[in-house]
Amino acid sequence: MLKYIIKRIAIFIPTLFVISLVTFYLSVNVPGDPVEQMLNSNSEMGSAANAQASEKAYIEKRKQLGLDLPIFYFSLSNAAMPKNLYEIPKKFQRQNLERLIDKYGNWTEISTYYQSLRKLELTLADTKKDSTNADALINIKDKLQDLYLNYKDNVIEADFASIAQNLKSSTTLNAVNSDFQTVKNNYEKGVKEKATPYKKYIPAFRWYGTQSQYHQWITKFMVGDFGISYQDQRPVKKVIWEAVRWTVLLSIISIFLTYIIAIPLGIQSAANKDSTGDKTISTLLFMLYSLPVFWVATLLIMFLGGGDFLGWFPAYGVGDISDSDSFMSVAWTRFYHLVLPMVCYTYGGLAFLYRQMRGAMINTLSQDYIRTARAKGLDEKTVLWKHAFKNSLLPIITLFANVFPLVISGAIIIESKFSIPGMGKTAIEAISARNYPMIYTIVMFSAILTMIGYLVADILYAVVDPRISYNKK
Amino acid sequence: MATEIKQDYWSYVRRQFSSNKRALYSFYIIVFMAMVAIFADFLANEKPIYCQYKGQTYFPIFRDYGVSLGLAKWPKDLLNINWLETTFEKCIRTPIPYSTTNQDFFNSGFVSPFGKQDVASMRWRHWLGTDDIGRDITAGLIHGTRIAFIVGIISMSIASFIGILLGAIAGFYGDDKIQLSRAAVIMGILFFFVGWFYAFMTRSYDLSDAIGDSILSFLGQFSISLLIFFGALLVGYLLSFILKIIPFFRTKVNIPVDIIVQRMIEILVSIPRLFLIIAVIAISKPGIVLIMVIIGLTSWTEIARFIRAELLKVRNLEYIEASEALGYSRWRILFKHAIPNAIAPVLITVAFGIAAAVLIESSLSFLGIGVPAEVVTWGKILAKAQGSKSQLWVAIFPGIAIFLTVTLFNLIGEGLTDALDPRQKK
Repeated sequence: MLKYIIKRIAIFIPTLFVISLVTFYLSVNVPGDPVEQMLNSNSEMGSAANAQASEKAYIEKRKQLGLDLPIFYFSLSNAAMPKNLYEIPKKFQRQNLERLIDKYGNWTEISTYYQSLRKLELTLADTKKDSTNADALINIKDKLQDLYLNYKDNVIEADFASIAQNLKSSTTLNAVNSDFQTVKNNYEKGVKEKATPYKKYIPAFRWYGTQSQYHQWITKFMVGDFGISYQDQRPVKKVIWEAVRWTVLLSIISIFLTYIIAIPLGIQSAANKDSTGDKTISTLLFMLYSLPVFWVATLLIMFLGGGDFLGWFPAYGVGDISDSDSFMSVAWTRFYHLVLPMVCYTYGGLAFLYRQMRGAMINTLSQDYIRTARAKGLDEKTVLWKHAFKNSLLPIITLFANVFPLVISGAIIIESKFSIPGMGKTAIEAISARNYPMIYTIVMFSAILTMIGYLVADILYAVVDPRISYNKK
Repeated sequence: MATEIKQDYWSYVRRQFSSNKRALYSFYIIVFMAMVAIFADFLANEKPIYCQYKGQTYFPIFRDYGVSLGLAKWPKDLLNINWLETTFEKCIRTPIPYSTTNQDFFNSGFVSPFGKQDVASMRWRHWLGTDDIGRDITAGLIHGTRIAFIVGIISMSIASFIGILLGAIAGFYGDDKIQLSRAAVIMGILFFFVGWFYAFMTRSYDLSDAIGDSILSFLGQFSISLLIFFGALLVGYLLSFILKIIPFFRTKVNIPVDIIVQRMIEILVSIPRLFLIIAVIAISKPGIVLIMVIIGLTSWTEIARFIRAELLKVRNLEYIEASEALGYSRWRILFKHAIPNAIAPVLITVAFGIAAAVLIESSLSFLGIGVPAEVVTWGKILAKAQGSKSQLWVAIFPGIAIFLTVTLFNLIGEGLTDALDPRQKK
């Protein structure tokens, strides 16, 4: 048995590794720039000193988030891509450079062009504004930002034309003009004329080693450092710990309720198969099984929770409590708020489990040894609970593993609808805010929990049915 | 001889299924709903089916199809016409004279189906009320049927394709029946990366730009990529013959396909599905196609398991041995003999799978994730209901539609389970 468990855990590790790669891949491809999002900066405005300060802040934040490293241990790209492109701090500028490289394939020229753009930006920031050049200056800055983010030739040329137009309108912009000519020259004479697009068809393998985002993340993750949440800058561990309590509380109670209601119902139904009672309960629970949880939640809120009908229960949140409240009153407030979500959590699994229990029990009751037990003169109760029940438990136990992910998925909708600050709601908010340290951690944890669920089910399987032995394999 | 038995089996399944009245009627209702989905444009549309305008005769709905296929153009008179407010000389409108996007400003703010409505005549009544901005709920439900059915059927087709293929290979070949020479394995791995590089990496911008353009241009670019990819694999395969000159590379090695497929299934079921779907959708552009593909890609595991188990049984049966003895290739035996005999149980999973896919699609719509703003779905209509009495109908009707569809598909699945269960033979 122990050997089997160790073997299973050994299988976990590659599986988890693949899952971590998948989540990592997804989060790297998230649109938007997390650093920009956290700083909320507006770097286009202000003097050169200002611009440099905000860039410094950007670079520091990027370093703090660990985004200044290459993504993975190695990269497979083409010969046109430079090895150290990740050193360009701004994400959107970097993406645009990638497109330019894809198009022209000459990094040295593109890099010169990029540096001249940056020089132009600094010169622009230092140029004194007066009444004659204010409009032109704003326009040029605008076009400059456009140049950073564009790779299409016609757009770039149009921006050049517009900048040239604006430069003509004022005589105080000579310094800017010379920088602009450099930019234009670098693009037209350098990037475009010395293009080497064939380079992108030559594969290139680059090794970055442990100084990579993935390595830093996974090693920290293994020692329990999950990073910082982008949304409120708190440690992810703390945010998740606060959220997970609600989900675990709700799921444990609901799984418990599901089992203690579904098992006796299923057994009774199977014992009185095809009776009116069995048919009624079967049909009823079958319908429950198909009821979409968000519909039930909506209707419950409408009819029972604070809507225009019966305002019996609060519709949102988990209730406000103060430190002075007694334990009983806290418990009551919580209970009162969680009744409706609890109903939603429970009914789906209930119907599912009931159907399985009934099926398994009917199957067992048709076996020969049950007939023997009856023939011996044992009363129906003993036959049902002592002989049949134990053998029908098998499928029910394995379902424990299926109920678990069901609850986690259900949590997303239920918690969003009822505003319960649990894992589901946190996850949804993290996903829509592109808060990827949170997303990583939540996905990894739900995967770990699901796998533990399967393992526990397999072990219980062996405990209930002695015929199953994992040692022989 | 073989075909006769096969026919017998299917007609037996059909007989069994038909004897289950609940499942049979469910099937009839689903067929009816599928009809509603197919003919949604002729049931609820702002455009008339037939009209006469300025002396000309038009069939605007048909022309609309023509325009979207690029075969026809709108005449100047009709180009920017307000279909609802224009008076035509002659006109036959659809039963519900609204499209999903029409906003009736006189009847906005959750007008009840039973209350007073500010409409010209009964012909223009909103039979199931309106939503907050005055869109007709009936029209939304009819077109929502189409989305639900398309998502359910396409996603399960994708899932069935992957599931049947992988499950069948895993079950039929097991861990010891596929043997390749070392040359083929090495060349295969090498040229997999080469193909990947030229098909997808160097063309990554072509592909991503095409997604922004249209589905059709993406499919075009994607097919080119696939061609390059498989071309590279073919080159690798041919080169492996040269490599085989060296005896070392001629040695055969086992490909443990069963283990590989099992691991893939394990990984997929370990990530909570709704989570994975939401995470993928969050980083991509919203779109129905994406939802279908991602549901399909995550729900093949059950089908693969079913067919694997079935083929484990089938592969040792006598008729497989017989066809082997006749010298048929293993691929031919797999696709022509083994899979057709194992496919019936897959229907069960597909029926339940469609129900699940419809639920996932409506959950996503309800959460407002992944479905483009202009597309009206059941889940989206339902999400409008926030709790006040006036919104009751907005909650009830789409809820019933989702519930009904899910229940009916589940009942069909149930009926199929019974019909295919040999213990229930009558």
